[in-house]
Amino acid sequence: MIDTFAALAHGMAVALQPMNLLYALIGVFLGTAVGVLPGIGPALTVALLLPVTYKLDPGGSLIMFAGIYYGGMYGGSTTAILINTPGESASMATALEGNKMAKAGRGGPALATSAIGSFVAGTIATIGLAFLAPWLVDFAVRFGPEDYFALMCVAFVTVSATFGDSPVRGLTSLFIGLTLGLIGIDKLTGQARLAFGIPELLDGVEVTTLAVGLFAVGEALYVASRRHHAEEKLEPVRGSLWMTREDWKRSWKPWLRGTLFGFPIGALPAGGAEIPTFLSYSTERRLTKHPEEFGKGAIEGVAGPEAANNASAAGTLVPLLTLGLPTSATAAMMLAGFQQYGLNPGPLLFAERPDLVWGLIASLFIANGMLLVLNLPLVGLWVRLLAIPQPWLYAGILVFATMGTIAAKPSVVELSMLAGFGIMGFLMRRFDFPIAPVVIGLILGPIAESQLRRALAISLGDPMVLLQSPMSATLLGIALIALVAPFVLKELRRFKANED
Amino acid sequence: MISSHMRLFGAVVALLLGASGPAPAQQLELKIMAPAAPGGGWDQTARAMQQALVAAGVARSVQVTNVAGAGGSVGIAQFVNGAKGDGNQMMVNGFVMVGALAMNKSPVTLEQVTPIARLTEEIQVIVVPANSPLKTAQDLAAALKADIAKVTFAGGSAGGVDHVMAALFAGTVGADAKKINYIPFSGGGESLAAILGGKVTAGISGLSEYEGQIKAGKLRALGVTSEKRLPGSDIPTFKEQGIDLVLANWRSVVAPPGITPEQRKTLSDAVEKMAKSDAWKEILKQKGWDDAYLSGDAFSDFLKKEIVRVTDVLKSVGLVKS
Amino acid sequence: MSSEGAPGDHPGGAGRRVDRAGLVIAAALAALAAVLVWDANKLPATSMYGMGPEAMPVVIAVGLVLLAIGNLIDALRGNLPPRESMDPKPVWLIIVGLALLIGIIGFGGGFILATSALFVTTSAAFGRRAVVADSVIALVLTTLIYLAFDKLLTLSLPAGPLERLL
Repeated sequence: MIDTFAALAHGMAVALQPMNLLYALIGVFLGTAVGVLPGIGPALTVALLLPVTYKLDPGGSLIMFAGIYYGGMYGGSTTAILINTPGESASMATALEGNKMAKAGRGGPALATSAIGSFVAGTIATIGLAFLAPWLVDFAVRFGPEDYFALMCVAFVTVSATFGDSPVRGLTSLFIGLTLGLIGIDKLTGQARLAFGIPELLDGVEVTTLAVGLFAVGEALYVASRRHHAEEKLEPVRGSLWMTREDWKRSWKPWLRGTLFGFPIGALPAGGAEIPTFLSYSTERRLTKHPEEFGKGAIEGVAGPEAANNASAAGTLVPLLTLGLPTSATAAMMLAGFQQYGLNPGPLLFAERPDLVWGLIASLFIANGMLLVLNLPLVGLWVRLLAIPQPWLYAGILVFATMGTIAAKPSVVELSMLAGFGIMGFLMRRFDFPIAPVVIGLILGPIAESQLRRALAISLGDPMVLLQSPMSATLLGIALIALVAPFVLKELRRFKANED
Repeated sequence: MISSHMRLFGAVVALLLGASGPAPAQQLELKIMAPAAPGGGWDQTARAMQQALVAAGVARSVQVTNVAGAGGSVGIAQFVNGAKGDGNQMMVNGFVMVGALAMNKSPVTLEQVTPIARLTEEIQVIVVPANSPLKTAQDLAAALKADIAKVTFAGGSAGGVDHVMAALFAGTVGADAKKINYIPFSGGGESLAAILGGKVTAGISGLSEYEGQIKAGKLRALGVTSEKRLPGSDIPTFKEQGIDLVLANWRSVVAPPGITPEQRKTLSDAVEKMAKSDAWKEILKQKGWDDAYLSGDAFSDFLKKEIVRVTDVLKSVGLVKS
Repeated sequence: MSSEGAPGDHPGGAGRRVDRAGLVIAAALAALAAVLVWDANKLPATSMYGMGPEAMPVVIAVGLVLLAIGNLIDALRGNLPPRESMDPKPVWLIIVGLALLIGIIGFGGGFILATSALFVTTSAAFGRRAVVADSVIALVLTTLIYLAFDKLLTLSLPAGPLERLL
């Protein structure tokens, strides 16, 4: 414990040198600037900007890198909130309420709660990383395929929070996503499913392509189709640009709860950021004192998922630093960053290169603080993006949204899929099907399927394996309770009401 | 540090020269396709070649293109159809592509391309958790022969090098390779967690991926697939333990079909010069890749034999219909 | 994409009409389920322990059939949320823009021309009539994007005739 403090203090001393602070600032600025482009998520941001850091010495470059990382994440939420185009699936939950707030002229508080929430969650999770990493990793490797499957079941149950008012339409969306998730080579047997002989489909549907198509392209088509109704004048600011006392009161608990979801699940080798953000969203929706605001722009629905998103990002560093496992696209880019210095993250890294590890952890703290310093004053500027005339705003959104796909996979098939998903997103909006469950189905379906099949292969087909593992049995129990509880509560309430 | 400067330098040179008049005849302008997304092994190999070819003065400029998809099936189709007869293009490929093409029923095969040279290889390893009762490769062999279904292997994608190796191991020790219980994980990360957590019997991967865990004493290496014991390593080979399993995850470079013998010679000479250059050796050292340079007919024969060996194994485990 | 459908101006009323769009959706879901089962049947049996690759498609297909029935009931009862009238012209303009983008990229026209085409059509869809001015803006904007990403950040974007001039 004492050693940890000493090491961290040393790392801080390095990170706080004026030159390094400048690098952190440049990193945060660049990361935010690129991350704020619609359709460009944090992983692509880091990939694009990684070469910029090569020109510095290892210390400075790690610090700038940390800045880019957090900046990219924050930039991604900014576009999710302001123009409903999450650049990656992890900021989808943020877009649900955040964009509604922005449309109601409350973009300022939404951005602020997301910035401060990110800071709070990032700081707590980084402390967690510093002190709990060795213990957490022990816990994380005990997670077997059956436990992951049980975790996915919990996640599936909570998805219903995004269904809107009709379970039939919500489930329809989810099942369309699950169907899309089947496309491509089956991971366990190498057989192609639903590929129809098109080689580009063998790798499956890219989550980014689906998310950007449904959200960005679909939104543009939908807004265009309704333009003849009242000229929908977007007011960038209505009321206060800043968070009111009420906003603070409603935000702080979701920040902390989001952190509690994000960090441990992010630390699981196959945990990811989507599950904690949606767990957080559905929890806030259940716990809120303002249920009527959900779906219309409730600040809790922005504060919680954003905190969960950032905490899970710090969580991903646990397996990365202690096992050398990159568990997300962004973590894979970080690994590439380490390897530039001949560093191989793994069990020996903490022992062999404590200076760099603690330097990185200290830079994460600095970058987190820097993000707040840079971005709170910029909230006003970001919000004004909405004042760009509609034709140019949406034309620009579509250019950037397609650019993300063009950069990743410049094939006609991929771009056609993007356009197809756009049209699908438009039709779904028109016929009032929720969008988010499609993306969740695409993400969770394949994971749930392959983990279940792995568990069954290990147990030679015995389904009891799901109940024999205490972790899996507990999680399945939670899923069952979460599934049944709302109905039971409803009945109870009706019963009570009848009694009265 | 060096590498990034080199890349920058190369780009600047390419830009400047691109704007000037025709180049001297011996200076090549090459295009190398990496049939995978940026960041993976094939992409890194292509970019390392780009760097070394320019640094060694073999080529005036080298452009790397990425065509990702289905273990290289998308890339090779585009390469064979689009670059036919073009003496300035090459494509990186490797062991995994052999299996991927067979499993995806690709209309284009590696028999159609013009082999140039094998460049690198990586030795494979079988590991067990530190507390496993299995101490040697023979213990594992005995367990396989006792009840093959109960021995679970964790490794990379279905039909990849790890999977092929599990089947070869079982076949070599006299168990029924058809019945191996191989569980593919996405990437080394997830499988490592499954092995460390004791969920599976053994894990298979490239040696470098598990080296840290082996050194830290969390995993025990039962054997490596090299011909001879690796210098400075105390991990025994399978051969030493009486199991005739020699295999490496190789990467090579090929040219399009339909090029003239002169064009082939030009490319082979260029790659040879690169492979012998200091710049290339420096990159190999930095990336931890083993030099496995093999060219000409020797490489063509090697490639043919590997295609036969891998296809047979995949047929035996039912991934490819015979 | 019918703009008629159920106006839904009788909330809660018993005299609702059958929603034709809802029928189409239900039929599409059932068709999708059929495709899943057809595709799963083509998968060869493998020597995998536990569960094979054909199990999950069948499970999802069953779900889709149930949802098709659910959607059908909603449609017959006219139980769909009200829809506002829509203007199809801007939608088609943007779709044309996306088709142009795909075509230009496919035929090697490059990033700048492709995204400029999308910019101009989208801008027109949102009511701008100054096509020439927008084209200039689009070309300048996409050229700047191309330069920033391709040259500074070495992201390889598809190059066409215009990009080769830079």
